[in-house]
Amino acid sequence: MLLPLILANLKLIYRDRQAAFWAIAFPLIFLLIFGLFNFNDLNPVEVVVVDHADNELSSGLIADLDALELLELVVITDEGAARQAVSDGDSNYLLIIPEGLDPAADPDDLTLIYDESQLQSNQLVEGLIRRFLDGANLRIQGVEPLLGLQSEGIQGRPVKYFDFLLPGLIGMGVMTFSIIGMGTTIAQYRQQRILRRIQATPLKVRTFFISQVLAWLVLSLVQTAIIMTAGTIIFSATIYGNYFWVLPLVILANLTFLNLGFIVGSLSKSVQAASGLGNLLTMPMMFFSGVFFPADSLPSAMSYAVKYLPLTPLLEALRGVLLDAQPLWDFPMQLALLMGWVVVTGVVAVKTFKFE
Amino acid sequence: MSDDVIQVQGLVKRFGALTAVAGVSFTVQRGEIFGILGPNGAGKTTMLECIEGLQKADAGKALVLDMNALEHPERVKDRVGVQLQASAYFERLTLTEILNLFGKMYSRRVAPEVLLEMVELSDKAHATVKVLSGGQKQRFTLAASLVNDPEVVFLDEPTTGLDPQARRNVWELIQRMHAEGRTIVLTTHYMEEAQHLCGRVAVMDAGAIVALDSPAELIRGLPIPFQIRLSTSIPVLMGELEGLAGVQQPVRQDGDYYVMPSISAEATLPALLQWLNDKGASPLHLEVISATLEDVFLELTGKELRD
Repeated sequence: MLLPLILANLKLIYRDRQAAFWAIAFPLIFLLIFGLFNFNDLNPVEVVVVDHADNELSSGLIADLDALELLELVVITDEGAARQAVSDGDSNYLLIIPEGLDPAADPDDLTLIYDESQLQSNQLVEGLIRRFLDGANLRIQGVEPLLGLQSEGIQGRPVKYFDFLLPGLIGMGVMTFSIIGMGTTIAQYRQQRILRRIQATPLKVRTFFISQVLAWLVLSLVQTAIIMTAGTIIFSATIYGNYFWVLPLVILANLTFLNLGFIVGSLSKSVQAASGLGNLLTMPMMFFSGVFFPADSLPSAMSYAVKYLPLTPLLEALRGVLLDAQPLWDFPMQLALLMGWVVVTGVVAVKTFKFE
Repeated sequence: MSDDVIQVQGLVKRFGALTAVAGVSFTVQRGEIFGILGPNGAGKTTMLECIEGLQKADAGKALVLDMNALEHPERVKDRVGVQLQASAYFERLTLTEILNLFGKMYSRRVAPEVLLEMVELSDKAHATVKVLSGGQKQRFTLAASLVNDPEVVFLDEPTTGLDPQARRNVWELIQRMHAEGRTIVLTTHYMEEAQHLCGRVAVMDAGAIVALDSPAELIRGLPIPFQIRLSTSIPVLMGELEGLAGVQQPVRQDGDYYVMPSISAEATLPALLQWLNDKGASPLHLEVISATLEDVFLELTGKELRD
């Protein structure tokens, strides 16, 4: 009896073109949009320089600053026009080198004029120039710096933003499809008294629900496969680890999402209400569990709390498995959390369920 | 196996403080069309669902085909056909797919084509429920109730919300199901429906059965089951009409009409004709109006059937 029911469920969900479309298209649209941004290479910041000193020292400074990867210097002579350009927002940074820049003659300070609306890059540019001048001061005075910094960036694999995003989108896609899809289905079946009609047959209610869960699990794996394929082929995301580990992870996490879908369906009086409640549940997880950005950029109390949302351990384990090529058993905490969520949501789902 | 396909004894169902079914007892015999007539909220559906094994009664007994619906609901469910009130089917499956799926839930099943043929929906075999009209939907739910070829079929308000044409259509189908030898139990709040279809009717009010008999007997049981309407060529004295056998308090209506409530049409009519004959008069209009189940309900409960 289970198989015909699973097939009927698959047919029903497949024929709901809208749901099927969103299940696949939603994550791919995100992939496309984030593909338009270029998060990998920072563009150099343009700094306009007015050089009133025009001597050996000033041109040396300009050449050295320009050599920095992050800055691109443009030298012009008209200070008035340059200041106007900053206040008009046409350029963001203006560095003014005063006349008489001579180490022997106690020179005036350099002036940096910037547009205050560029919050993030202001600190960067200001800090960079200040540090550069500190270094220059020391050298001019012939002092050898005592403390130096040797920095070594360690990156085992060249992980691109897309590579980071793809596991996030797999998790997000499965979560939204299952919670909202299952939620609206159950709400609809109850509203249209289909659950009652099934209850009037000798079929065990348990069998009906198991068939629902199995159908959705099958679909979530198909969905995952499509997102992974599209992500790697069309958007050339790289997967370093073993694809196989994605299966048990998605299934385990999806049991929680399907339970949540049941709960949403039980608490909602209509399909619209179920869709709303489902969104209310998935939206915060989508943003806080680290689908698009690492969750640790949140305030510390919050980033601690979101670690326990059901989506977070899934994403952590997915990324570990796919990006760092770790085996599944390297994530006992995440697996324990996911299993805990399955049990808790399962109990709540059974307690809240009603036929009518 | 006894001829009582359904035996209900002292059935009670409570929802919190509300007693929906208050100790109901009755039996339904093989091959009957048994009606449960009552206004909305009388407890008809709840009682039916207790017998179908859909709800657990708090007290009492319900035997269906000698199986206890309270102890073995799944056995009862396998052998009976059920049409629920306002219940829909999967929107995106075809009629054939739905009947196939439901058939698989039972130990015995009828081919979808046969069922659709019976309810004249063969041309919609590959359509979805969405495109069906109200009457067609109702016919489909009747087909679905027969998917396990049941001996007993429960129909909960099978014609509610249908137009008169579609209602007649459903009545015909129910009679056809009955002609195939099935026992049918239906609830309704339409007295015409009960009168037209049912061999026996249980009149239900506030969770209790207040009367149970054939529609004709229920009506005959009324203190005044008939009214005789007469107009004639000669002047009539009220006192003369009141003296006729069985007549109670006649009234004059619409000028020349006389309405005589009668406890027995069989007694009053010959007496009336004799009296007219003696007077050398003839009736211009003579009509015997039988009371309806509506009147029965009003008499038994003091309430109108329809709300």
